Amino acid sequence: MLNIENIDVSYGEVQVLWDVSFNVNKGEIVAFVGSNGAGKTTTLKTISGLLHPIKGSIKFLDNHIEKMKPHKIVELGIAMVPEGRRVFPYLTVLENLELGAYTKRASQYLEDSLEWVYQLFPRLKERKNQLAGTLSGGEQQMLAIARALMSKAQLIMMDEPSLGLQPTIVTEIFKTIEQLNKQEITILLVEQNVAKALEISNRAYVIENGRIVLSGDSESLLKDKEVKKAYLGI
Amino acid sequence: MLKITHFLKSKKTWFYILISLLLIALPFMVSEYITYVVVLTLFYAMIVSSYDLLLGYAGQLSFCQGAFYGIGAYASALFSIKAGFPVYLSIPLSVVITALVAAGVGYPALRLRGAYFAVTTFFLAHFVYLIFLNEVWLTNGPLGLRGIKPLEALGGIDFSSTTNYYYLVLVCFAASIYILYRTANSNLGKMFISVREDEDLAESFGINTSLYKLVAFVISALVAGIAGGLFAHFFRLLHPSTFTWLTSEMVVIMTLVGGIGTIFGPLIGASVVMFILEFLRFAPELRFVIWAVALIIILIYEPRGLVGLVERIRRVKR
Repeated sequence: MLNIENIDVSYGEVQVLWDVSFNVNKGEIVAFVGSNGAGKTTTLKTISGLLHPIKGSIKFLDNHIEKMKPHKIVELGIAMVPEGRRVFPYLTVLENLELGAYTKRASQYLEDSLEWVYQLFPRLKERKNQLAGTLSGGEQQMLAIARALMSKAQLIMMDEPSLGLQPTIVTEIFKTIEQLNKQEITILLVEQNVAKALEISNRAYVIENGRIVLSGDSESLLKDKEVKKAYLGI
Repeated sequence: MLKITHFLKSKKTWFYILISLLLIALPFMVSEYITYVVVLTLFYAMIVSSYDLLLGYAGQLSFCQGAFYGIGAYASALFSIKAGFPVYLSIPLSVVITALVAAGVGYPALRLRGAYFAVTTFFLAHFVYLIFLNEVWLTNGPLGLRGIKPLEALGGIDFSSTTNYYYLVLVCFAASIYILYRTANSNLGKMFISVREDEDLAESFGINTSLYKLVAFVISALVAGIAGGLFAHFFRLLHPSTFTWLTSEMVVIMTLVGGIGTIFGPLIGASVVMFILEFLRFAPELRFVIWAVALIIILIYEPRGLVGLVERIRRVKR
């Protein structure tokens, strides 16, 4: 579904990603893990079109998207749940969700999508007329995910959905991700919480200093000695 | 029926009715001089409220609102003097010109963000002023543009009288405030807010943020152009010094004093600022000093502007 081949990405003179290649197949949860500054967010920004690779190609459903503008890429069906939740605090929950369905393709299904996400997150329905800034951290994360779902995307990229949330909420968020995957939504999950990410994903890539150093199915990575030592602290 | 009784019982309704009646009765209650000042205030109120759509809703700080006021004024005056167009044609034409200039400048300039955009608009304001000042063949330069025709009489109403012109401006003012208010609270307004709050995030939903910023910029310029055109045929003398960068600065200050992101707040800001400055005319040297001190005090004690002050008083009452 998503094919990334040998991309190099730089911020001005500083190169951040080196020869990164990976792919995401339909129906999978793919984890993309690594420590701070490894290049995880940069990779997501490149896929969503906020950055453009200086070399290499990105293909999504047979379209080359490496030079496309962000709004075109959204229309193709890639949505992003950004890091740190980032809701529009001075708009209501409902207005936030409506903005998620901004594209022509998604706005046709606005009513259906709303019903669907309210079913997934009943909390949001209770609070639909509340300003998004007044929600708790966990609820804001739910809203950010729901908003991405509103875009009728086929691939959802999540940037650190567990960041800064209390452990019980983190568990809940990961459960939600698994649940979404059962509804045939493909997920690219970027996480620092390596243990949790490997538990729920099918496959995973480990990135270090802008290069992919390890990849494989998540179960075997969980048992991998290097991974255990470097990321799981065992 | 229930709706109507509710409507009549609401304090807000009566407040608006009272304000409207006051504005309608104004020319009969005060001297012509005050009416004159109120007309000038209404021009500023239009410029400032439309600027609020750009600053308060779309979150773009610009320093060229005064330039659009000037372009509207000069364009309309020149159409009527040099081409001999009736004022009913020259004002709409000048508004079109203002909008075109805003679109032409805004398209590249809005690719810059934050302070970079603000600085660019500052230079635009100064550039426009220099044209008014130096292109003598067109604008008569520092001597000023004289002999601007008043608005032609229509249906027996003579618009060269201050009172009649006041009503015309009042109608234009009410119409533009209504349109601005509806725009701010429409879907378009929500798009503006999404750009203000998080441009990257908005873009990640497929919202074409550059387009919405441009729309806000052009709308705000357009209303300033209308005010400029109306000003030219009211004052009937245009001088470059009316449209220096200070005018644009004043617009920003009025908006901040009134309280941004409310459309109505800046109205209060414009009125208060205009009247303070007008009443300080007895002390010409100290005028802006007193004014600056007042401004600092307002911004320290009520950073949300006068709207914040009004809300605070209402809360205490409850």
